Amino acid sequence: MASITLKNVTKSWGGKPAVSDINLDVPDGEFLVLLGPSGCGKSTLLRMLAGLESVSQGEIHLDGRRVEHLPPSARDMAFVFQSYALYPHMTVRRNITFPLIMRQFHWWFHLPVIGGLAKRRIERSPEVTGLVERTAKILALTEMLDRYPRTLSGGQRQRVALGRAMVRHPEVFLMDEPLSNLDAKLRTSMRAEITKLHREVGGTFVYVTHDQVEAMTMGTMIALMRSGVVQQFGRPRDIYTNPANTYVARFIGTPPMNLIRARVEAGELRIGETGFAMPAHVSTAALRGQKEVLVGLRPESLAIVAAGSPATIAGEVAMVEHIGAESLVSVKLRHAATAHEEEEQEQSAVMATAPGYSDLKVAEPVAIRLTLSDTVFFSAETGERLAA
Amino acid sequence: MRGIWQHRLRMLAVLALLVAAVFPLYWMLVTSLTASSDLFAAAPHMLPSLAELGIYREAFLNIPVATWLTNSAIVATGTMVLSIALGTLPAYALSRFRFRGKGLLGFGLFATQMLPEAMLVVPLYAIFGQLSLLNTLAGLILANTAFTVPVITWILKGAIDGVPIDVEEAARIDGCSQIDIVLAVVIPLIAPTLAAAGVIAFFHGWNEYVFAQTLVSSQELRTASVGLAGFVGELSTPVHSVMAVGIIYTLPAVIFYLFVQRYVVAGLTAGSVKG
Amino acid sequence: MVAGIGSRSMTKSAPPTARLEGSRWTPYIFTAPVAVYLLLFQGYPLVQELLLSFTSTSLLSPRDHVYVGLDNYNDLVGTSDFHGTILVTALYTVACVLLAIGLGLAAALLLDRPFRGRGVARAAVTIPWAAPPVAVALIFTWMFNAQYGIFNHAFRFLGLASANENWLDNPKLALPAVLLTTIWQIFPFASVVLLAALQGVSAELREAAVIDGADRLSVFKAVVWPTIQPSVALLALFITIWSLRRFDLIWLMTQGGPIGATNTLVIELYRQGFVYRELGLAAAVGMIGLTIALVVTLIYFRATARAERAKGQR
Repeated sequence: MASITLKNVTKSWGGKPAVSDINLDVPDGEFLVLLGPSGCGKSTLLRMLAGLESVSQGEIHLDGRRVEHLPPSARDMAFVFQSYALYPHMTVRRNITFPLIMRQFHWWFHLPVIGGLAKRRIERSPEVTGLVERTAKILALTEMLDRYPRTLSGGQRQRVALGRAMVRHPEVFLMDEPLSNLDAKLRTSMRAEITKLHREVGGTFVYVTHDQVEAMTMGTMIALMRSGVVQQFGRPRDIYTNPANTYVARFIGTPPMNLIRARVEAGELRIGETGFAMPAHVSTAALRGQKEVLVGLRPESLAIVAAGSPATIAGEVAMVEHIGAESLVSVKLRHAATAHEEEEQEQSAVMATAPGYSDLKVAEPVAIRLTLSDTVFFSAETGERLAA
Repeated sequence: MRGIWQHRLRMLAVLALLVAAVFPLYWMLVTSLTASSDLFAAAPHMLPSLAELGIYREAFLNIPVATWLTNSAIVATGTMVLSIALGTLPAYALSRFRFRGKGLLGFGLFATQMLPEAMLVVPLYAIFGQLSLLNTLAGLILANTAFTVPVITWILKGAIDGVPIDVEEAARIDGCSQIDIVLAVVIPLIAPTLAAAGVIAFFHGWNEYVFAQTLVSSQELRTASVGLAGFVGELSTPVHSVMAVGIIYTLPAVIFYLFVQRYVVAGLTAGSVKG
Repeated sequence: MVAGIGSRSMTKSAPPTARLEGSRWTPYIFTAPVAVYLLLFQGYPLVQELLLSFTSTSLLSPRDHVYVGLDNYNDLVGTSDFHGTILVTALYTVACVLLAIGLGLAAALLLDRPFRGRGVARAAVTIPWAAPPVAVALIFTWMFNAQYGIFNHAFRFLGLASANENWLDNPKLALPAVLLTTIWQIFPFASVVLLAALQGVSAELREAAVIDGADRLSVFKAVVWPTIQPSVALLALFITIWSLRRFDLIWLMTQGGPIGATNTLVIELYRQGFVYRELGLAAAVGMIGLTIALVVTLIYFRATARAERAKGQR
């Protein structure tokens, strides 16, 4: 059993917090993804789990045991580095065997002759060689066992790093952006391999990445972090359909969720010049008396129809991107505004999807129809979710 | 907690290291400021006493320190100027150009570091005799430079390696000739290393002993290294005066070195660190 | 500044071929002065020494050479005194390499982790290297003095028997004393090089070893040592060659005595030439020393090439 619990975990560097008050409960066997932009504290959190960084405040529990004061080797966790950190002067076989030898280490192994003999005995013992070879087989490394890391490709090195982590059968696997050094194609295949590994090997995986696609495809749980604080923690599906705030809404999903400004007047939603009935799943009370809200709708919930159609918002095409199976169309809304933080110019463009290879041209006048039942409402002030 | 004691032990070790590194020079200073009567006392005085500064004045009066230091300064300066003058262009060539014989030159420069001065001093003596360079400071400068130039060239090459080629290409486009580029563009960019190399060359000349001893015989041209060497081990001249001369001779070298050691380290380790 | 020069050159109307830039000869023009200089002041004397080694020539009449072929070499190699010299040289060299690198590594490891005043410490540790050898010989000779030297004072203070030896006059203590002096002067160089090498050790690799359960010494053996090994090898080469060259310190402190206890090849060379006035023999000694240095350098280059091939190709 390898559940992980974080209670009020905080890490400060000289007064400035890198990670603030993290509370997470991860059941055994989950694939947790720590997601966020660089500098959000996800790597720091991972390293605290590993014991490479100390915890300023709070507790870390592994399987109910408190471990935050234990050194890394006592925690039964394996770590895969972004740069793989393979021992360059050892063969692949030795790299994988190394943790097994260290596990049975005694102080007198350092003595010149005796130590060497003892270490070699462990290395050659059937249990150890068996483990190493089985691990190599799972990762398709058998032919490379006697080669040096320098002669291997990126993907092969990645697998050696995984092998070195796996061979100890740890309860927890920690991975720090292991795929970011690989090219796109390799990344996709390695993603599948890691997911497969998780299924076969079991144990709890904690995976750090800034790539939300990786998070959504690999994770069973996601913790999205920003500036050291967890924005939302839950299953990928929940995070996708029910983002906790506008940051999460805009981070997850490509293209990100649209946030359209709306006013609540007399039980109606007014967007620009158009009035819409409040969708059935939301009561005015749920909107807590806010006059201004942000209407969150994913591109697939926006339809592009002919200009002038009823119950739509008018606009004109700003840009069309043909992806193949569908087209991403950016539409500048007339008389309506958006709340997309990252854009600097006047905000009025939403992203919608059109099926197939769209014929829409730039500057063509169109209208946007909203599927309001999909809406997630956010406070215009705080960005927090109001109702979904 | 294990951490604190480890740290304390470490600090203690560092302290011991520093004491060992500095003590002999400190001791030279202390001895130079010890009264005659105390020099041969049963228990040594560990702290310098400023009351004895008169020893320095006496040293200057009784020992031709001024002459020695002047000669040393002349030789050192000459070595510095000549080494830099000779070494800059080859350093640039080794850094930027590919040419036949480049490897040979590089190896040759390295090989000269294997030759002991003591071995070449006899033929040099003969050569200098023919060129009427014996018993001249100019001769010393020439001899020292031969041994210093390879090191200087190597250090400067390392520095030039670190200068991005774009600046030179921009100058080339502006119409600069190669010499212009080297002198007006590259040199200013490696100024700190150049200064450090200059200091190194200076102190090669300042510290040098064998040539100064063998190739120069007259007393007026004696350098401080030779003059001081005469006192090593003998006790007829008061020890504190000798140590005073030693301090005057050593202090410039150490102080200047402390100023430039950052660049020296950078220049050395750029080439020598591999892997 | 560049623009100014450019405009100046722009006004020159020399045809392209006459300009130095781009000329095929530029590298040779740049390197010729130094090459000529070194050939004149090092190459030519070296050749002279080689020729001298095949003659019997006296310092008093250096122009009169009597050709003796390999006699000088034979005489040297046959003499047991010369064997002693070789032994002393070997001892001195090996001890210098091991102790200077050992002490330098210890210093580098100590100065690697951050602490208050580390910059000052790092600078202070390099001071011995800045001191002129003559001054070093002076102060250490005084420190080794039988009655008044600080070392003996210290030993007496610690109650260690009859510390009344003059170190440099004692055949058993002279070499250790000279070694101590040498190590003091050269270990800073080793520590500077090794400190730089230590900076190149990847922190992630260290962490990986820690996570794998390695204790401090194992981390050193698995991660640090392999990374700094090339620097250590290069250091060993340099210190070896310097030890074969080192003259000032040894000559001033002991002149190679007592009874040849500190008589290295270079000292022997100097004595043959300037004390016994046998220039031919001196040259022969020099050639032998040079050959040893060349062999060591060759071994170093072969060994490093082989090591690199082993790691890179497999």
